[in-house]
Amino acid sequence: MRSYLDLIPISAKMHRRQNRMTILCIILSVFLVTAMFSMADMGMRMEQARLTDKHGTFSLGDVMNSAMGQTLFLTAAVLFVFVLAAGVLMISGSISSSVARRTKFFGMMRCIGMSQKQIKRLVRLEALNWCKSAVPSGIMLGTAAAWGLCAFLRFFVKEEFASIPLFGVSPIGIVSGAAVGICAVLLAAGSPARRASKVSAVAAVSGNDKSEPPFLRPFLLRFLKADTALGIHHAAAAGKNLVLMTGSFALSILLFFTFSVLIDFAGYLMPQSSQTSDIDITARETEAIDKELVEKIARLDGVKQVYGRRSDLDILAKRNGEKENIDMISFDEFELDCLKKDHLLKKGSDLSKVYGSSNYALAVWDRDSPWKTGDTIEVYGQRLKIAGLLKYDPFSSDGLTGGKLSLIVSGDTFMRLTKTTDYSLVMVQLERNAGDQTVKDVQKTAGPAYVCTDRREQSTAGTWFAFVSCVYGFLGIILLVTLLHIVNSISMSVSARQKQYGAMRAVGMDKRQMAKMIAAESFTYAVSGCIAGCAAGLFLGRGLYALLIESHFKYAAWSFPAGEMAFIILFVTAAAAAASWNASGQIRKMSVTKTLNDV
Amino acid sequence: MDLLEVRSVSKTYGKGEAAVHALKQVSFSVPRGEFAAVVGESGSGKTTLLNMIGALDTPDSGKVMIDGRDIFSMNEDSRTVFRRRNIGFVFQSFNLIPELTVEQNIVFPVLLDYQKPDREYLEELLDVLHLKDRRRHLPGQLSGGQQQRAAIGRALMTRPMLILADEPTGNLDSQNTSEVMALLKEASRKYEQTIIMITHSRSIAQTADRIFQVSDGLVKDFGRCRV
Repeated sequence: MRSYLDLIPISAKMHRRQNRMTILCIILSVFLVTAMFSMADMGMRMEQARLTDKHGTFSLGDVMNSAMGQTLFLTAAVLFVFVLAAGVLMISGSISSSVARRTKFFGMMRCIGMSQKQIKRLVRLEALNWCKSAVPSGIMLGTAAAWGLCAFLRFFVKEEFASIPLFGVSPIGIVSGAAVGICAVLLAAGSPARRASKVSAVAAVSGNDKSEPPFLRPFLLRFLKADTALGIHHAAAAGKNLVLMTGSFALSILLFFTFSVLIDFAGYLMPQSSQTSDIDITARETEAIDKELVEKIARLDGVKQVYGRRSDLDILAKRNGEKENIDMISFDEFELDCLKKDHLLKKGSDLSKVYGSSNYALAVWDRDSPWKTGDTIEVYGQRLKIAGLLKYDPFSSDGLTGGKLSLIVSGDTFMRLTKTTDYSLVMVQLERNAGDQTVKDVQKTAGPAYVCTDRREQSTAGTWFAFVSCVYGFLGIILLVTLLHIVNSISMSVSARQKQYGAMRAVGMDKRQMAKMIAAESFTYAVSGCIAGCAAGLFLGRGLYALLIESHFKYAAWSFPAGEMAFIILFVTAAAAAASWNASGQIRKMSVTKTLNDV
Repeated sequence: MDLLEVRSVSKTYGKGEAAVHALKQVSFSVPRGEFAAVVGESGSGKTTLLNMIGALDTPDSGKVMIDGRDIFSMNEDSRTVFRRRNIGFVFQSFNLIPELTVEQNIVFPVLLDYQKPDREYLEELLDVLHLKDRRRHLPGQLSGGQQQRAAIGRALMTRPMLILADEPTGNLDSQNTSEVMALLKEASRKYEQTIIMITHSRSIAQTADRIFQVSDGLVKDFGRCRV
């Protein structure tokens, strides 16, 4: 031992178990940031390569100016801040409780002559000492995860990701991962270090620090049993700790709501519908495609699905007795099925009435549309009833109807009304393994009278899938961190009160009552965290929805995320239950006499 | 010359009706190299007095001079350094750092002062304390008496002028008590250190050079016991 600071590694070795969770928190923060920044970096390199291919030369400026580059790094930067905040909250909780547990130790250090500055340095370096192993592990895990993701994108999603580098090591990822770990630890250690340095030396002599525990509020005892009342008191009495715990619960919930909006955003940005076609066929002149052609194409190898639309535009109709011009489009059964599968119908729609030759139609809709389900429209001398509404207008580029009514009817209904059997548009979906040969076969079968548009390039399925899996992966990690954090915090709070609990056992509190007391404490945190988190999450989610989605997609309508809310409340409840179960286990193993005599 | 001089020190805890006058205008002095015992009932103000002398707590009024220096005229930082170099503490509950070995615990205050421990002096101390074969043990592996001897070693390592001991034998059996007492006396003689020890036991107090009795916030000097 050469310096008093050598105490740190010696002490860390002895308290490995207590510090395990804190180290895990640091590893996770570093891991997340390294993985995200590495992926963003790989995305940039891919974009660079693409630009070089396209223009022959490129400069970094080009990439930074490209929309993709900016989005990538902006997203990564925002996530960096989020992860940093989450890391600080969680780590500072651990450090605070470790400082609180060692009041007497710091008092003694002051007695034997450690200055306040030295104590601050000791606490900070103790925290930094965790980084020694946690940061490299986080970086390695993050880089490995980025490799895995790149391989996944390259070999399974393919498409635009076919050129993503496989085993790239990203300096940006490594530096930012290390930065987030060290920053989080230093920020988190600041206030506990100050508190430790202010511990009075008298604390060591007299054996207890001067801070008096707050009184148990009598009204708790009036309404609740003593065990439950004590548990709630433990949670509520430690003011700053309650704020920290509530804050970290709330932050996780907040992140959850934010990420749910991102998933919605991806859905609007890259709508994935089951009816997206690989090849569109239109007629060169007459705008009519023979029905037989559809049957011929359907028989080709590699073709999965062929379906068409017939249209009759700007026809005169009467709605509620008033004349207006409307469009009428026919959907084949496959496409009608897709409407339901993709959840494009508004609530109260009855799709089943539309199939076959019927007197029912679907109508496109937006917030300004006056028509509603049940309205009747007279077309070609026959009355059609609106059986359902679409959430937006799929035929217009902005999703708005512009006040024009478009009806969707089944093929049979359309043919009965208009006596037209020819299609105006035929769409083809290919099998996954189908290649350019199939496209050529389709073109050949169609012949020169028709235009075949290859739309495979426009598919956003790969990007969408990659984005959504990243978001879900991130969400999963957030939930995992939340779970770990809750379990760890409750366990630490129990360790800190071990002596008190020993005394309670000695005066006759049974194990079931102990468990109840701990559960009451956990659920107090969970409830306050849920209230704060849901309130802030809804507010932020709503704002983000307006900013990201509503401002770009006029037809989008926000709805209360009841499902998400139910899920997160259930999750937090389950986590709190797991935490109290774990902590009660700790207590069950405790020996009354040993706990009383120790410490 | 007196090493320790306490001049009209007062301390009151709490306010109004709840006020407790722990020390009332206390004055006394202790010469260098003397071994003084402080006796008194529980709550009489013994520990408060010791905290004042050790600069752990500040008095409401009065002065404490150690080696001619007014410790409460220093700022917090220099007071800490002064304490580190000149005052050693021995507690009833030993208060060793559980993670460190006996030897590491003893040299720790020297390391806090960014100095190199004097190996020769350390060996000498370990020898006097009968801890040579226990130097690599952790406190948890020692008996109460051994732990207290290690704590005394820690207090002696910086060669302080003044050692303050708050019931150092309170947790020990009679065999260990007499060993620790002998050790403290030897230290005061051998290293010319002034020792102030709180104790409950009259018989232990009788072995000191001088006895102070604290009662109700006042200190009575019973003078030197033996010549």
